[in-house]
Order: sequence, then structure tokens, then C-alpha cells
Amino acid sequence: MTAAILVSSRLSKTYQIGGRQLPVLSDISLTVSRGEFVVITGNSGSGKTTLLSVLSGLDRPSSGTIRLADRDITELSEDELAPLRNELIGFVFQAFHLIPSLNALENVMFPAELKKDPAAGDKATRLLERVGLSMRRQHMVSELSGGEKQRVAICRALINDPPLVFADEPTGNLDSTNSREIMSLLLELQRERDATLVLATHSREIARQADREVRLADGRLVSGEAS
Amino acid sequence: MRSMLKMPGILIVMLLVVSGLLGGCEREQRDQRREPAIASEPVYDGVIIAMGDSLTAGLGVAPEKSYPALLESSLQAAGLNYRVINAGVSGETSSGARSRIDWIINSRPDLVIVETGANDGFRGISTQLLYDNLAAIIESLLANDIGVLLVGMQMVSNLGDDYRSAFNAVYPRLAEHYPVTFMPFFLEGVAMDRGLNQQDTIHPNEEGYRVIVENLLPYVHQALNLERQRDRPL
Amino acid sequence: MIQVRFVLRELRYGGAQALTFILCVALSIATLTALNSFRSDVHRSLLNDAQKLHGGDVIIHSHYPISEPLEQAVRDIQSRAGADLARVYGFNSVVRPEVADGSLFVNIMAVAPGYPLYGSVDLASGRPFGEVLQAGAVVVAPEVLSRLSLRIGDRLRIGTAVLTIVDTIDYDPSRPVSIFSLGPRIFTSTGDLEQMGLLGVGSRSHYEILLRLPEPEQARKIAETLSRVATAGQERVETATTARSQVKRFFDNMLFFLSFISIFTLLLSGIGMQSSLSALLRQKQYTIAIGKTVGATYRFLLLHYLALTMLLGLIGAIAGVLAGLIIKSTFPLLFGEIIPAELMLGVTIGDLVEGMLIGLLVVVLFSSLPLYRIAAIRPVALLRLDLTGNVGKPATYLLAALVVVFLALLVVRQLEDVQTGLVFMLGCLGFIAIIFLLTSLVLRLLRALPVGNLAMRQAFRSLFRPGNATRSIIVTLASALSVLLTIFLLEFNLVASFITSYPKDAPNLFSLDIQRGQQEAFFAAVGKEAELFPVVRGRLLSINGEAIDYERENQRRSDSLAREFNLTYRDTLLDDEIIVRGERLFEASRPASDVVEVSVLDTIAEIGDIDLGDRLVFSIQGLPMTAEVTSIRSRTKSKLYPFFYFVFAEEVLAAAPHTFFAALHLERDAIDETITRIVTALPNVSTLNVADTVVRLGELIDRLARVITFFSLFSIVAGCLILIGSVLATRLERIRDCAYYKIVGGTTRFVLSITVYENLLLGMTSSILAAAVAIVSSWLICSAWFNIAFRLHGGALVIMALTTCAAVVGIGLISSLSIVRQKPVTFLYRQNG
Repeated sequence: MTAAILVSSRLSKTYQIGGRQLPVLSDISLTVSRGEFVVITGNSGSGKTTLLSVLSGLDRPSSGTIRLADRDITELSEDELAPLRNELIGFVFQAFHLIPSLNALENVMFPAELKKDPAAGDKATRLLERVGLSMRRQHMVSELSGGEKQRVAICRALINDPPLVFADEPTGNLDSTNSREIMSLLLELQRERDATLVLATHSREIARQADREVRLADGRLVSGEAS
Repeated sequence: MRSMLKMPGILIVMLLVVSGLLGGCEREQRDQRREPAIASEPVYDGVIIAMGDSLTAGLGVAPEKSYPALLESSLQAAGLNYRVINAGVSGETSSGARSRIDWIINSRPDLVIVETGANDGFRGISTQLLYDNLAAIIESLLANDIGVLLVGMQMVSNLGDDYRSAFNAVYPRLAEHYPVTFMPFFLEGVAMDRGLNQQDTIHPNEEGYRVIVENLLPYVHQALNLERQRDRPL
Repeated sequence: MIQVRFVLRELRYGGAQALTFILCVALSIATLTALNSFRSDVHRSLLNDAQKLHGGDVIIHSHYPISEPLEQAVRDIQSRAGADLARVYGFNSVVRPEVADGSLFVNIMAVAPGYPLYGSVDLASGRPFGEVLQAGAVVVAPEVLSRLSLRIGDRLRIGTAVLTIVDTIDYDPSRPVSIFSLGPRIFTSTGDLEQMGLLGVGSRSHYEILLRLPEPEQARKIAETLSRVATAGQERVETATTARSQVKRFFDNMLFFLSFISIFTLLLSGIGMQSSLSALLRQKQYTIAIGKTVGATYRFLLLHYLALTMLLGLIGAIAGVLAGLIIKSTFPLLFGEIIPAELMLGVTIGDLVEGMLIGLLVVVLFSSLPLYRIAAIRPVALLRLDLTGNVGKPATYLLAALVVVFLALLVVRQLEDVQTGLVFMLGCLGFIAIIFLLTSLVLRLLRALPVGNLAMRQAFRSLFRPGNATRSIIVTLASALSVLLTIFLLEFNLVASFITSYPKDAPNLFSLDIQRGQQEAFFAAVGKEAELFPVVRGRLLSINGEAIDYERENQRRSDSLAREFNLTYRDTLLDDEIIVRGERLFEASRPASDVVEVSVLDTIAEIGDIDLGDRLVFSIQGLPMTAEVTSIRSRTKSKLYPFFYFVFAEEVLAAAPHTFFAALHLERDAIDETITRIVTALPNVSTLNVADTVVRLGELIDRLARVITFFSLFSIVAGCLILIGSVLATRLERIRDCAYYKIVGGTTRFVLSITVYENLLLGMTSSILAAAVAIVSSWLICSAWFNIAFRLHGGALVIMALTTCAAVVGIGLISSLSIVRQKPVTFLYRQNG
């Protein structure tokens, strides 16, 4: 068993638009070690979100392979990937993507409940306390502010104690104060749990805090391939 | 091809008829007689039973406008304290009247006014059967010492002269044969008079019943006198 | 002004929503077209039959010769309107053969040449009636020959005339009207009347004048004109359609029922239109938001989407008209037994235009709210996926009010009676209000329910999510289902009461007025033993000391307590009776007293407000009798079984004067002969033959049930479309939820199970509510309107619930399948633009 939790080799992703092939990612090989904080940067349209999606198994590469926790997930079906995501991966999105019909606590509990964890409620309560939202746990999503929503989303990403967390512009919809708070919270939690964090952003400030920065330009890696 | 829509016509009409009959409810017979208060029954000098069909029952008029009720008040006005019981059954033929004569006798009346036969005539039932039924009724009443006032009936002419004359002759023949008081025609001066009958041209209206009672009253007096004379020796 | 390209482009990506919308429009127009056309068929056929039954458009009836003013008015109309006229004289008489012995009581109908003005009297020989019935000749019912042992060619003495029997009657269209007359029918010519000498002073006859108008629609007006000169209380002027209106009322009831179904279908389709159009526009809101951002005015967008809606509506209307034509063309096949094919005209242009107009009106009405919503879409929707398009409450209420007004007008128009229409409308609103309240209650209860299973809980959450249409879907579904179920239960109970409970060996011949002592003779005439019911005539004088009020009773619409009743005695219940109050018919042991016991039927108990222990005073032909109510009975079967309001113990009435009533079952072929034997042996006994009635009633109800079921199918289809529409309307939310579930690790199975649970909840709640409402409403209609016993059809309820759940889950699953299959990333990418 190596220290690498995520290994991709020669990943490519091409979209068919009309009759034309439109390459989005080409030949991306990347290794992420356990506990590492990797930032993916690049301009708008450079393929950051697509790379995160392909790496996390939400989308399928056109070619190349991905190994996640020593398992090749490239060829897994959607229904084989789902429990894997549940156990191994946490997601934080720019647009929060909380389930609007659930309150804060239930949103956090949800992944734990999916794997029938009897302690789901306790864990979720503790996590919400940890992020300072225990007073607002019964509130519906629509009643929360942007910063609060993102805290709930972080809790949801971490409830199953995943070794790997993907975050796609987690502060993109927040003001600067909230952005800083969310980032420090995310990093604290990542370190506490010794989780791996792969984060896409175009913020230089965030990139500076990372262990490693991987730069994307036109779907290709321009730096940080190795190490 | 004939329309099938006529079916509901037949069916609904028949259904109504059938359910009406089965329900024991010939809807046309809507009459009722208010009985004198039962609790404090007044004392009478005697009892007259008016036995008959719808003409006696008073079909289509209020109970107090039927002829037995009117007769009772006329008698009272004349100082005769008699109770007149309405024992009319609408639609009844002489066969029905005959079969219930024991029930009439059981009430121990002093006089029975026998008015029946119109329904026999309207159904073209044999006049011999009518004669036999009436004879049996009269004999039973007389055998029980009950006075009889027989009221005659006359049949409409459309049934044909043969039937009509045979029918009309039944009552005088009986009156000749038995010691009864006889009123030749119950509807004398009333039958066929548009002003005295209801729309169906058969049943007298309130005014018609007043005329009938006026006509009937002398015969009732006669019958009661006869009865009193017969009673004296006892 | 309108950019056709824009409209067509928008249409292209409409997909399922557009199709659902088109189907809804098509359905509503097809239903209206088919039903209106069917209605005119029924009216035409009804008029035709009424004309045949009564022999004319206008009928003048009197017991006396028609008065001169009326005769003058008839002559005027004859010359002015070109009406045909036939005179009819009807009376009973006793006829005898010219030579042989014997006599027969008959019903004579003397008719003038030209009779009947409508239809025909069919003769055994097949020759035309008008040619056969000349002066000196008579046409007789077959029984006349058999009872008098005569043959065609023999001569009959009628009054003072001697006439020759030339033919027998095979079918007499007027017979149903005169079913009450007791003797067989003989047709004679009016030319022989004088010679018969039966009419005149001292005779009782019906005098009739029948008129056939060139335009039967004029009948009512002409009848009114004639009525004004007719002698009041003596001469009656009627039209074919007003006379003996039971038939008409029967069909009015059926058409009312069908109109109800069609309006209901229209309403459901309207809801379907609204939800599918909402779904369509929701899908377009991105386009709309961009349009607004780049400067398109609300007016521009509204105009173009209105054009789009109208285009879809037009396609739907054309499809609906075509469907209506196809449906109509199957009518002769489906309903040929009810309405003669020659009276079923094709769909008229009027029907089509009307169907289209009403249909398009429905489109406009139900499209207005979704179209109005366009105004509420803000460009900000581009930035934020704001799925709740809010419309101001006043606008929603205004539109709801408009819908109600429109429907009210439609109801009044369809039912052709303002008062009934409004009452009906209020009833419907009440009905929907009740379902709405019940739904709210059930949803509140469900919401409070603690749910352990995650998928189940998500399903609950999904149902109760803010802005979800759960309540309106349940209200709609439950209303549709309860109407369908009510229709089914009514049909079931009608059939059970009139047909099923009338088995093959049920009585088909009734005999009245059998006297005591005639039982054996009666059995001998019939050739077998038969059930005899004693009948004692009596009247009710008072209830608990309160005298029966003659005037009040005679104004009662239900049965009158003041009439002469037929009482009976027996010590046991009949097969079709049950005790509803009290222990048994009579108390087992009762101390001897002047007060006897009586068992009362529930229907009359209700009319007279009679309860257990009440004291009723009867007069049994003059003898007062006090009775205490010891039980209340109810009947479980049909109206065709004999029943008695008041039953006494045998020892109470056995001595009272009574006759017997017999109910017999005979082979149909043997009935006529048996009747002859009965009336010969026992002339005082009357018989009533219901064999044909029973058979035909069965066939009729069966066919009517088919018509109703046929039109009910339309509302089922509408219900399905609504369901599809509602799934489509919440499609975006469902896609989003599905993506979220999957991202955090839910499998397809998990997502599908949420869909199943959610739809199962919808289906179950709707069907339970529908069942409850349907049971109550059909019970009410059965007991209050049809006055028949109500039985539940458990199987139907279960099947309805299962089918509903299966359909809801099925439709939910099928329309969710494409959603569930989607990869979550598709949703995410779309979010990121």
C-alpha cells in the first residue's frame, strides 16, 4: 500500500459538439498523497471543474485511468461508484447543492444515513457544533446565509470521515470575510482528520496555503505534475 | 326498425306501477278519515257503518268531507245521536266487500249502508257474481239482526246495453227479494254532472257529497225507523 | 409582429410537455364533441319515441267532447300551421260474439283515418293498419280471440253494432301509456261509433285530438296557445315530450350524469393543460430570463408564448375533433341497441364548432396563469436557479374565480337549467372543498408521522417540500377517483337492486284481490302453489296521539301517511328484509293488552318520523286499533319485490278482512294462457304481467351502464394526463434532487425507491380519500335519490386503490426514469453554465 490515495494516468476528456471533437482535458497524470492539500488552479474554462468531476468519478474520462484508494474506478458503473463516493469522498461545491427539502442537520446526516450509520445523528450534531451552527441545525436550507450553507455543506462532506475531499470553488459565492472563515475551517478540519483535500480555485490567496499547486491551462497540466 | 328508446317508457311506467302495487300503495288512493278522539269517546245512541268502495271512502276529498262524515253531522243536526263509521275501501269490488262482512258484523252496528259494485261494473265483471255477492252480504247482515240500507248503482252506457241493463237491474231485484231499505241510485243527480264531480268524472267532489247526503238522508231515517220498530219487541 | 421562427424554435424543444398539453386539449374537445352529439341523438330519439308513444306532437285530452272554443282553435292551427289531425275515442266496454255465448271486457280505441300520426300499429298479417281498419272492421288484440274462442273473419257485437274481426295487433305503440286499462285492446273506426251507440249521455270516454306539426319544435308554443282556450279542469293540452314525463326524466337524469362526467373531464383536462404548460414554460425560463436580460419586453414574450400555446391548442383541437369524429363513428356499434342507427346522425358542424370554441376557451382559461407567470421571471434567474416562479395571490384568485364562473356557465349550459346547474355547481364546489379539507388534514397527519426508513423519509420530505403541488395533485386525483368510484358504485347498486336481485326464477306475474276462500281455486288456475301475501286495508289515524293531517300529508312529495295502506300479517321476516332497529319482528312474550305490536318499514318510518316504542292508531275499516312499534325493518333488494310498510302478528289481523296478493314465477310462454285461466275462474282477480319489464329493464340498465362507463373512461385518461403533467412540472426539482442524492452516494435503486414511496404515498392517500368520499356520496345518492339499498363493493374499492397506486407509481417511475438515469455531473455542469 502506497501513500498515494488518488492516481490518475493519461486522463483525457473530449466532448462531442456537433460533429466536432472538443478536447477539455488532455493527458493528465496526477498523484495525490494521503493528507495532502492540492490546489488546482487555472483560468475560467481551463477544465478545473471537469478534472474534479472526472477524478471524483462523477464523470467518466474519454481515456486514461483513475485509481482511488488502490482501486481502479475508471470502468465502474454509476451504481458501483455511488457507495464508493459515499464512503471515500466528500464534496463541497461553489453552489452548495444542499437538499432544499431537508433542514441543516438532516442534510449533514444524509450520507451517514445512506450507509445506515446508527450514529448519524450524533456525528452530525457534533460536526455542526464544531462549525458553530448548533443553533441553526433545525433551519431549512432556504433560511441559511451563504456562509452558513457552505458550513453545512462542509459538515456533510465530512460526516462519513472520507479520506478524500473535493472542493470546487468553495468560496466562489461568498464575500471575502466569509471566504477566509470557510477556508480556515476547511483546512482545520482537513488536518484534524488527516484527510486529503483537492480544491479547485482561481484565488491566489487560497493557492498559497496549499501543499502543492497544480496549474491547468487549456486542459493540460502546466506545473506540479510530479512529487 | 323500431326504436329501443320506447323500452324505458314501458319499463319506467311499469316499474312505477309494479313498485306501487307491490309496495301496497296504490298512490291514487289518498284519503284518510279522522277518527273522533279515541280517549274520550262520546256516547252514541247507535252505530251506522258505511260500507263501500272509493265512493264511500271519499277518494280525493278531505276525510271530513266524505259522505259518512257529512251524514253523521246531518243526523246529529236532526237530533239523532248516531256514530257513522266509514268502512270504505277504495278499489274494492263486491267480492272484497263480501269477504269482509264478518268484520263489519263484529262491530255490532245498528245499520249498515251497503254501497258496492261500481268497480265490478268498471271491470266488466259478471253481473251474476255481483248479485250473488250482494245477496250474501245482505243475508249475513239480516241474519245478525242488522238493518240494511242498500244503495243502487248504475253503470255507464259505454259498456253496452246488454251489460248495462243487467247491471242496473241487480239492485232493484235484491231490494224486491230482501227486507231492506233501498235507495235506487247512490249518485242520483250527481253522476255525469261536471260541477259535482272531480276531474276524473267518477268521484264526487265536496259539493257532490253534500247532494248525495241530502238525497240519502230520508232513506237513512226510514231505515232507522224500521230498525227501531223491529227492536221494540225485544 | 410575431416572429414565427421564435415560436417554432421554442416548440421544437417542448417535447413531452407540449405533447401532454396537446393531449389534454384533444381530450377535452373530443369528449365535448362526442357527448354533445350523443345528446342530440338521444333528444332526437326521445322525441321520435314520444311522438310514437302519444301518436302526435300535441295531444288534447278530455273526458267530455272537446269544447267548441278549443275545436275552433284547433281548426285555426290546422289551417295556419298545416298540422295533421287525428281523433281518438277511448272507452271500456263489454263485447260479445255475434253468435256464440260469452262476453269480454275490452278497451276500445276508435280512431279516425290517419291514425297513428307517428309510428305504426303493426298487424299480424303485416298489412298497413290504415288500409285494414275500414268502417265495419275491427282489429283486436290476440287475447280477444283466445278468450272468446273466435277467429279472424268472425263477427263481434260491440254496443249495437256488429263488426268483423279482420286482423290482430302485433305491436301497438300507444300500449305502454294505457297499461293501466284492464281489458285487451280493440281498434275500431270512428265511422262505426254512431252505430255502436256507446258514446253519449251517461257514458264515460276519453276524447282525444292528436296533432302532427310540420315543425315539432313548435309543439310547446302551440300547446300553450291551445291551453288558453281549453276548459280549465276538464281539457288537458300536452306535448309529446311533456306528457308522461317519466321517460324524459329518466333520460334527463342520464344525460345529466353524462354532462357531469364531461364537465368533470373538461376540468381535469384543464388542470392537465395548466400543469403541462407550466412545466413547458419552466423549462423555457432560462430562455425567458435571457430574453429579458437582452431587452425583450414582457409583451413580446407573452405574445410569443401565447402564440405557442395557441398553436399547441390548435393542434390539440384538430386532434380532438378528429378523435371525436372517430369516437362518434363507433356509436352505432356501441349504442345501436339504445338509439336506432337511423336516428344517429354524424357529428354536425354545430357540434364541432361548439366543441372547438369551448375547448379553446378552456385552453385560454387554463393557460392564463402559467403565461402570466412569465412576468414574474426575472433575469436574475440566470444567476440563480430560482425554481419558484411566484405570482401574486390576487392574480391567482382572480383566475380561480374566472375558472369557477366559466365552469358555472358551462354547467348551466350543459344541463339546460339554471337552477339545477347552480345547485350542481355549488355541490361540486362543496365536494371539492371537502376533499381539499380532508387532504389537508391527512397531509398534516402524515407530516407528523415519525418515519425511520431513509428513503421513505425522503419521500415524505419530497411530498412536503415548500412549493410542491402535492396537495393539488391529491385533491385532483382524489376528486377524479371519487367521481369514478361513485359512478361505479351507483351503477353497481342499481344493477344489484334491479337486475341481480331479480333472479331468473323471481316473480314475473302478480295477482291482486284474491279473496279468502279463493286460494285453492287460484292455485288450480295457475297450476301450482304460490306465495300469498295477506293484504288488509287500513288507515293510520295518529302517531303518539297526534292525528294525521290530511292537507299536510297530501302536499308531501314522498308517500302520504293519510292514504289507505295495505297492511299485512306474518310472524317472520321476508328473505330480503332485515331488522334495523329492535331485536326481532315482535317481542317474544308480551303481556296481553289492548295494544298490539307492529313492525314498520324504515322508509315510511322516516317519512312519519316513527321510532321504536311509538304508539300508532290504525283504523281497520272502521275499527280502531292501537299498536306499539316493536321493530323497524329495511329491505335489502329491489323495488320489484313486494313489500309492506306495516306488518302485524298473525293473531292480530288474521280475523280482519283481507285479500291475498300473489307473486308467481311462470314460463314466459305460459303467462298469457295462465292469465286467461285466472280471470275466467276468478273474475274478481286482477293480474299484472311484468315478465317483459324485468327482462327489458335488465337489458336497458346494462346498456346505459355501458354508455356511462364509456364516457367515464375519458376522465380516467384526463386523470392520467394530470399525473404526467404534474411529474413533468416538477421535473427540474426532481433532476436536482436526484443529482444531490447521487453525489453523496445514493444508488439508482435508492433514488428509485424514493420515487416509488413518494408516488405510493400520493396514490394511497388519493385512493383512500376517494374511497371515503365515494362511499359517502354514493350511499347518499342511493338512499336519498334512487331509494335503493346500498351495498359496498369491496372488490371494486381494492381494485381502484391498487390500480391507482400502480398507475401513479408506474407513471411516476416511467417519467422519472430518464431523470434517474442521468449522471449527476450533467446537472452540475449545467449549474456552472
